[in-house]
Amino acid sequence: MNKKFSVLVFSIIATIAILAACGNAEEKEVNSASAEKETATSETRVIEHVLGTTQITGTPKKIVTLYQGATDTLLEFGVKPIGVVESWAEQPIYEYLKSDLEGVTIVGLETQPNLEEIAALKPDLIIATQVRHEEIYEQLSQIAPTVVNTTLYDIHETTSLIGQSIGQEDQAEKLIADWESRVADFKEKIATNENYPFSVAVTNYRADHARVYVQGFAGSILTELGFKEPKNLQGQKLDIVKLNDKESISQMDADVIFQFMEDDAAVKNTYKEWSEHPLYLNLDAVKNEQVYTVNEIVWNLAGGLQSANLMLDELYTHFKLEK
Amino acid sequence: MKYWTFRMLKEKVSFQITKGWMQVFSIGLLLLIAFFILSLSSGSNWISPTQVFMQLSNMTDEHAFVIETLRLPRTLLAVLVGSALGISGLILQSIVRNPLASPDIIGITSGASFGAVLFISVGTGVVSMSLLPFAAISGGLITATFIYLISWNKGVTPIRLVLIGIGISAILKAGVTFLLVFSDTYVVSKAYIWLTGSLYAATWNDVTSLFWWIMIPLPILIILGRSMNVTELGDDVAISMGIKLQWQRLVFLGCAVILAASSAAYVGGIEFVGLMAPHLARRLVGKSFLGLIPITGIIGALLVVIADLIARTMFLPLDIPAGVFTAAIGAPFFIYLLYRNRNR
Repeated sequence: MNKKFSVLVFSIIATIAILAACGNAEEKEVNSASAEKETATSETRVIEHVLGTTQITGTPKKIVTLYQGATDTLLEFGVKPIGVVESWAEQPIYEYLKSDLEGVTIVGLETQPNLEEIAALKPDLIIATQVRHEEIYEQLSQIAPTVVNTTLYDIHETTSLIGQSIGQEDQAEKLIADWESRVADFKEKIATNENYPFSVAVTNYRADHARVYVQGFAGSILTELGFKEPKNLQGQKLDIVKLNDKESISQMDADVIFQFMEDDAAVKNTYKEWSEHPLYLNLDAVKNEQVYTVNEIVWNLAGGLQSANLMLDELYTHFKLEK
Repeated sequence: MKYWTFRMLKEKVSFQITKGWMQVFSIGLLLLIAFFILSLSSGSNWISPTQVFMQLSNMTDEHAFVIETLRLPRTLLAVLVGSALGISGLILQSIVRNPLASPDIIGITSGASFGAVLFISVGTGVVSMSLLPFAAISGGLITATFIYLISWNKGVTPIRLVLIGIGISAILKAGVTFLLVFSDTYVVSKAYIWLTGSLYAATWNDVTSLFWWIMIPLPILIILGRSMNVTELGDDVAISMGIKLQWQRLVFLGCAVILAASSAAYVGGIEFVGLMAPHLARRLVGKSFLGLIPITGIIGALLVVIADLIARTMFLPLDIPAGVFTAAIGAPFFIYLLYRNRNR
């Protein structure tokens, strides 16, 4: 009995060891095979990005975008992705992109996209972002060449990265030039406003707190447009400021406040409480009736070149400027 | 009751196997194998078990990526994590002789969580995320050492260990909340996924590393395991039987910490498994410590494999953190067992 058992244990361990060894060997074969294939074909572009270099052969036709900004911006190039991640509101796809994205496969959440769904689409390019997808970069690269953006919302970086990846650098430069000329036009026209340059705050209400987006998508675009940061937060290089208590309402202080919030009872309740607070009523923007409610998706959740342009449109309207 | 006795290595290792234990063990193992295969078969596309076997034995190469790069490491990691957490909980419950002990309550998981969240909030975009497991393991080990040292008062008693562990755990949880409040929003969403515990993006590297971490305490448990049965009768009994109580406590605690911290490192803070798996095992096979190890391991593995299977297939195409479901499937079964055995 004794011996028999030892033999049994040994054989189990041996089987496990062999299985483990097989697994490793197979993986290596797959890797070397795909490496050969890449070097064998001609016309290869090498893209350098934050997580390494990626070789792209020819013009990618089947593209999967793994963050909202990439989906939005890729459409600006006139290219329709075959797979996108679910949107943060109006699930699964934002209304303003719905017609452009008809029939596109949803590959899961931006924070945890489904690798099997992506693999099943057999894409030839994946556009990801370091903040969300650093852990899965290796696996994504095994599915298809993967390029990675550093941030979620930097439209300049997203546009030029997509341009390089799909072989449309010219178009990327044109899109950025168009954007920059619009920015220049806006700055010229807003400068005629008697109070310019004024400070703006982008605020957001949640069920249990409020936020000021000093940078982030909307904040960085407002800075690009020449607006100043909220009065009490200037020069601190802050990104998103969470206000956990009504006593910090003065952090919101600015000449103009743009606010957005979810259509939710708890959120509306927070907003009601905060906006009735004496400190709130004492804010410059509130006293001068310069508080505007804006579209949450365009101002915060989409994060691409299209939504940046839509945001600029809203700004033209708010300040009654001609386009 | 029918039983067989094993004595090996000059009686250094000895244990008994009863017929009832064999039944539970084989049923558990068969269930685990069944769910293992089911887990390899299901996902975005159903791949029939025969196809899975053909792929694994290299007779076809059709599903190489989906099975060998995605599903197989993920399922293996689920098995390893589940058994490690379960056994870790079993050891802790035996050391402190308290049925409520588990890695999440004693502070080990909180230590690992704090290490990981600190790393995520400071390191995102600065340091490679592949170093995250080291941060979590060090967090767990440092915290456990700290708790052990503070508890020391001419030896460590279970009650001091538990109370100080709970205290430290509360401090660390406060620390985690503090970090979450002061971090960027996208960092917070990443940290939340980690805290829930997710098997997403499991790689072969994770599987082999965790395998070796688990291999460290396993031989110790098998050799020293039988002394635990005596210790469970009380400190005085154990000492009078010739057991070096403090040594034993330190070694077993070390084993539990390695198991819990290393599994937290690779999948995050999956809770509940460490608490419930040992109880489920005890309901099924009684109280012999050595006999409980394999059963607890199998039950823990089953809990995590099933939880992950549900998490990644129920809401397709969404892939949800498995930690959401470990309690959801384990708790009803546990309550059922308590209910069924209420008059015994």
